[in-house]
Amino acid sequence: MTVLPTPDRDSAPWWDALAHHELTLQRCESCGALRWPPREMCNRCGSLGWAWVAASGRGTVASWIVNHHAFGAGAGARPAPYVVVLARLDDQDDILIPGGWAGAADGADLRIGLPVVAGFDDVDLGDVDDQLDTSGESARAALLRWSAA
Amino acid sequence: MAGSEHPLRDAAAVAGIGATPYSKNSGVSTLALALRAIRTALDDAGLTIADVDGVACHRVGDSAQAVVVAQSLGIRDLRYHLDLFAGGSGSHQVLMHAAMAVATGAADVVVCWRAINARSEFRMGGTGRAAPDTVEFQYQVPYGYATPPQQFAMYARAYMHAYGVTAEHLGHVAIAQREYAIRNERAMMRTPLTMDDYLSSRWIVEPFRLFDCCLETDAAVALVVTTPERARDLRQPPILIAGAASGGGHTLYSNHREDLTTSAAVDVAPRLFASAGLTPGDVDVLELYDAFTPLVLLQLEDYGFCKKGEAGPVVASGATRQGGDLPVNTHGGHLSEGYVHGLNHAIEAVSQLRGTAGERQVPGAEIALSTGQPGYVAGSTGAVLWRRG
Repeated sequence: MTVLPTPDRDSAPWWDALAHHELTLQRCESCGALRWPPREMCNRCGSLGWAWVAASGRGTVASWIVNHHAFGAGAGARPAPYVVVLARLDDQDDILIPGGWAGAADGADLRIGLPVVAGFDDVDLGDVDDQLDTSGESARAALLRWSAA
Repeated sequence: MAGSEHPLRDAAAVAGIGATPYSKNSGVSTLALALRAIRTALDDAGLTIADVDGVACHRVGDSAQAVVVAQSLGIRDLRYHLDLFAGGSGSHQVLMHAAMAVATGAADVVVCWRAINARSEFRMGGTGRAAPDTVEFQYQVPYGYATPPQQFAMYARAYMHAYGVTAEHLGHVAIAQREYAIRNERAMMRTPLTMDDYLSSRWIVEPFRLFDCCLETDAAVALVVTTPERARDLRQPPILIAGAASGGGHTLYSNHREDLTTSAAVDVAPRLFASAGLTPGDVDVLELYDAFTPLVLLQLEDYGFCKKGEAGPVVASGATRQGGDLPVNTHGGHLSEGYVHGLNHAIEAVSQLRGTAGERQVPGAEIALSTGQPGYVAGSTGAVLWRRG
C-alpha cells in the first residue's frame, strides 16, 4: 500500500506536475530565489510575485535513513528495511527534497555527497482503497525516487 | 540596578514543582494528569488554586486545552492564558512566557504544565492519531517518513558525518544518563546499560539504535511561577529564572536552513546567557532536551560548552557523568527517566538547585540550564537559566 500525497492549495500544482514527471520549483520574480515547498511569499525578499520553473532534477545526497521498522499505520506502513534519501538540489544549496531510493534497500550504496538524479514512481491508484485524491482534478499521482547520477 | 540589565533577569521564580508517576499507561485522561500534577506543585509551594491566575502549557493536539484545565481548576478570572501549539521545542518557551507574565504584572501566579499519554494514547510514532497539522508532512508521509526518530535520524547522519561522531559517542550519552536514572526513584529505566548493550540493541532507523531513542511516557509535570518577592514567603526556597531566551523557527523546508549540522541553539545561546549575565562556565548542571542521543552532543556545542565537533569526545571522557565537570541530564533525561516533553528537565533543574535531588545531587549546584528541543528538525526553541535564590 502507498499513502497518496495530500496536496493543499499551495502545493496542488506541484504535486500535479510531479504526477506528470516534472520536478518544479517556484522562482521569485523579484529577487530570483528559488523556493520549495510551494508558498505564496518569497521568504528572502517578501515578494508575492513568482512563477513555476523546472528544476534540474540533479542534486547530491545530503543524508539518508535506513528504516528498520514498518513506520506508519495501516495503509501507510512499508515493509522494512527501506531507505529515504534527502537530496540537496544543484539548483540552489538550501533546497532539500526527500524521496525514495532506487538503489539498495539497506542503503549500502549511499554516501553523503553522492550525485543523484530525480526519478518518478507512479502511484498505483488501484492500490489505494480508502483515500481520496483531494486535488479533484487529476487521477494521477507520482512520488520522487532518487537514483545515482 | 543598571538600566542595561535584562528585564527578565531574576524577575520570576519557581515556587513549586510537581509530577505524577511516570508509566506506560496512566489509565486516566491528560486532563486528570494535568490537574494532579498542578495540585502537587501548588502543595509543594504552599499555595492553593485560589492563588492561581495564569495557566500555560504546550501541546500538539494531544492533551487537554489550557482553558479547559483552567476551568477544571475553578479559576473564575483567568488573567493570563497560553496554549502553545508546539512540541518539545516549546517546553521552555512556556516558562519564559510565564516569567514575562509575572514580571509585567499580567498575572501573579502562573501554573505551567505538560500532560501527555505518550505511550497509551497518542504515540509520537503516529498510532492513535493523524499526522500533526504541519504542512511539510505531505512531502514526507508518502515515503514512509514522518515519525520523530526518522526525522532526527536524517539530520543526525549529516551531523555525525561532518564531525566524525561515532556510534560509541552516542552510546556514551545513553550510558551516562542511565547511570543517573538508576539513582532516580522516578525514572522508568533503572537497570545498568553497557556499551555492548547499546551497540547490540536493534536498529530503529539508521543511524539510530533502540537506545538512541527516548522513552514514551504517560505523565504530567507542573511548575508554579510567581514573583521572587512572593516566592520568598512560600514553603520552598525560591529558584529564580535568571534568564530565558527563544529563537530559531526554521524548518528543513523553509529555506534559510541548509546546514543540517547545527541547531537553533546557536541563535539562542548568546541572548540566553546575556539575559542572565552568565556564561557557560558559570553553569553547574545541564538538563538538555534529549529525544535522541545526538541532541545532547549538538547542544553541548551549540550552547557553547565546547567547540563544534568536540562534544563526542567530551561525553566519552566521562565529563557529563555524575562527578564530572559537566553533569548532563541528572534525572536520566528523556532517554532513561521519562518523556514529559521537555518539562521534566525543568523540574530536575529546580530540584538540583534546591539540593533535593538525592543520590544524583550535584553538590552545591547554584546555576542550572534546562532546554527545549533545540529547533533541530523544526520549531522555535527556548531555554532557561536558573539560579538558586
